[in-house]
Amino acid sequence: MNKFMTTFWHTYLSKVKAKSFIITTVIVMLLIILAGNFDKIMNLFDSSEEVNTVELEASEEFTQQFSAVISEFSENITVTDEDGDMLLTVEDTVPITATVESDSEISSGQQTEIEMALDSVNRQMVVNSLDLTEEEAGLMAAEINVDFQAAESTADEDSTGTGGMDEPNYLNIVIFYVTVFVMFFVVINYASQIGTEIAMEKSSRVIEMIVSSVSPVNHLFAKILAIICVSLTQLFFFVLTIIAVIYFVDIGAIISEFGLESDDRTLPMIIYSLVFLLLGLVLYLSVSALLGSFVSRMEDLQQALLPITLMSIGGMYLGMFNLFNPDNMLVKITSYFPFFTPFVMPLRVLDSGTSHITVWIGIVIVIITIIIAVYFAARIYKRSILSTDKGIIKNIKKFNKDG
Amino acid sequence: MSLVLSNLTKKFDEFTAVDDINIEVPSGSMYGFLGGNGAGKTTTFRMLLGLLTPTDGEITYNDQTIGYAMTDKIGYLPEERGLHPKLQVDEQIQYLAKLKGMKKADIDKQLDFWLEEFEVPENKQKKIEKLSKGNQQKIQLIASIIHEPELIILDEPFSGLDPVNVEILKKAVKNLNHNGATILFSTHRMDHVEELCEELCILNKGQQVVSGNIDDIKSDFGQKELIIEGRHDISFLKDFPGVLEMKQNRNKNTIKIAEEKYAEDIYNEIIKIGYFKRFQVMEPSLNDIFIAKVGRQYE
Repeated sequence: MNKFMTTFWHTYLSKVKAKSFIITTVIVMLLIILAGNFDKIMNLFDSSEEVNTVELEASEEFTQQFSAVISEFSENITVTDEDGDMLLTVEDTVPITATVESDSEISSGQQTEIEMALDSVNRQMVVNSLDLTEEEAGLMAAEINVDFQAAESTADEDSTGTGGMDEPNYLNIVIFYVTVFVMFFVVINYASQIGTEIAMEKSSRVIEMIVSSVSPVNHLFAKILAIICVSLTQLFFFVLTIIAVIYFVDIGAIISEFGLESDDRTLPMIIYSLVFLLLGLVLYLSVSALLGSFVSRMEDLQQALLPITLMSIGGMYLGMFNLFNPDNMLVKITSYFPFFTPFVMPLRVLDSGTSHITVWIGIVIVIITIIIAVYFAARIYKRSILSTDKGIIKNIKKFNKDG
Repeated sequence: MSLVLSNLTKKFDEFTAVDDINIEVPSGSMYGFLGGNGAGKTTTFRMLLGLLTPTDGEITYNDQTIGYAMTDKIGYLPEERGLHPKLQVDEQIQYLAKLKGMKKADIDKQLDFWLEEFEVPENKQKKIEKLSKGNQQKIQLIASIIHEPELIILDEPFSGLDPVNVEILKKAVKNLNHNGATILFSTHRMDHVEELCEELCILNKGQQVVSGNIDDIKSDFGQKELIIEGRHDISFLKDFPGVLEMKQNRNKNTIKIAEEKYAEDIYNEIIKIGYFKRFQVMEPSLNDIFIAKVGRQYE
């Protein structure tokens, strides 16, 4: 146990004290702070000034209607008689033709607001000119009602009422997005770190001195645990920054701007995301350590780690591409494939149709895979570190037989 | 109280790397493993340390199987040299010595002592990749002996060093042995074994050619070398009983005889001729023994 801790601390401290660790951590922390102040920063660079008053050059009737309507669409644009920030010239055609002139650029948001207001007035004028009753006008504006009914979906019609999918909760999607992205970032970064660490020991031959003092399995586990703790240390700093940003910056503005609200799936979403983040890390790092131990030259490391890289990219894209469609068959199938589960299963948590049992099956699958991977790594590691054979499959066959 | 290898065998698939080795290393001795490339020295050492599992046979140290419970008492310098290139010398030694159960303060003290001993004190804070190969080798030797082990296993400790450094290391190894450590080292240099060891084992292609006390081996071997120097012609000795081989080089004759007893007959024969400046019976060299046992030149 003592030697386990020696290796653990040696690896942990040398990684945490490394410049690369400090620099990446600081950069990401800065990015988080930047993101937290996103609105303020955008305002700093926003060259188009707020245009608040509009002067109209149009018929009396139009002016009246527009003044009434604009407040519905825009909070900050008001109609003024003279010295407006912009000049709106309207020709009395059907449909109306309008020109907007201003000194400074009008932001796209305000352009939309003005267009919508004009559109509304135009519609009103058309209705008037056609001499329709309000009912007739109402019918024209009414939205159609379509009910798509497939034979099998009639069952859950009672429960959901509309028969379609729930409106996605954007806060949960953001949580998922952040988790998957962080997991991908950490897996890619630390898989290569642990692979490098182990391959370096092997290629520099210092491993032979180490395993003459401490058992290879003990050494391997101490290394894996140390690297996992390094990644958790980094995550801890990120989370700390996020909390600090939430406390010190008025983040409510951003959240409400994007329409993020928690619902009853937010808490399970957070918990499951964290669980899968941890499991994903342990799984990917154990396998990377195993792959790293097959390499006898540092140049071959990236190639050996390729399966890990590909699988984490695949998992991330599966999650990202199906973000708004979490109940499709591809997601369902891949969520049970252990290397994709940590990326895809949290996506299924987004879908209210996924039961907790499904998620737990996913967790159990990953845990079993971790146990198998670790067992296999321990069995093979002892032999592979003293071997200079190339070819991973050959190594696995040989060492498994010898074991 | 000794290290015993009995019937030790290691096969890799069809290839037999070590074939039925039986040796006993007495406690406190300096034991040499002599053999060329592929003789099985490194494989034997790896089995000794438990890094490889023997196909057959067993190894005991003080009647116990060697395992991770006793690695703190063992020091090992692998043949494949290498330390973590990105670490500083003191960081690397700290780590390796802690794995041997040492305390931080003791390590520092011992490291200073050994760096001084090996005449490289300026390297303490340097990164290992910045050191020359010879200096890296010294650091690695320090790593394997810093915890004052009872049993020291050195795989080719002197290879790749210049003569001055070989002497420094030899002195250190002799001192360690003098202070009570049992030292087992391998080499392909016969002169190192003859100079340092009391006990030895010669390996050839995984097989044990000869082993035991170096003086006993030589006297048991039988063959002796006779050197006769003088102006008289003694070429008639070529057909004398017991004479195996004779070389003439101006006034110096080197004669190989099957046993020491023939030396007396030859002596009695040549004093009849006249005065000879030199008549000497020499112990056989390890090289002679190797050639006689294996049937070919060593290396």
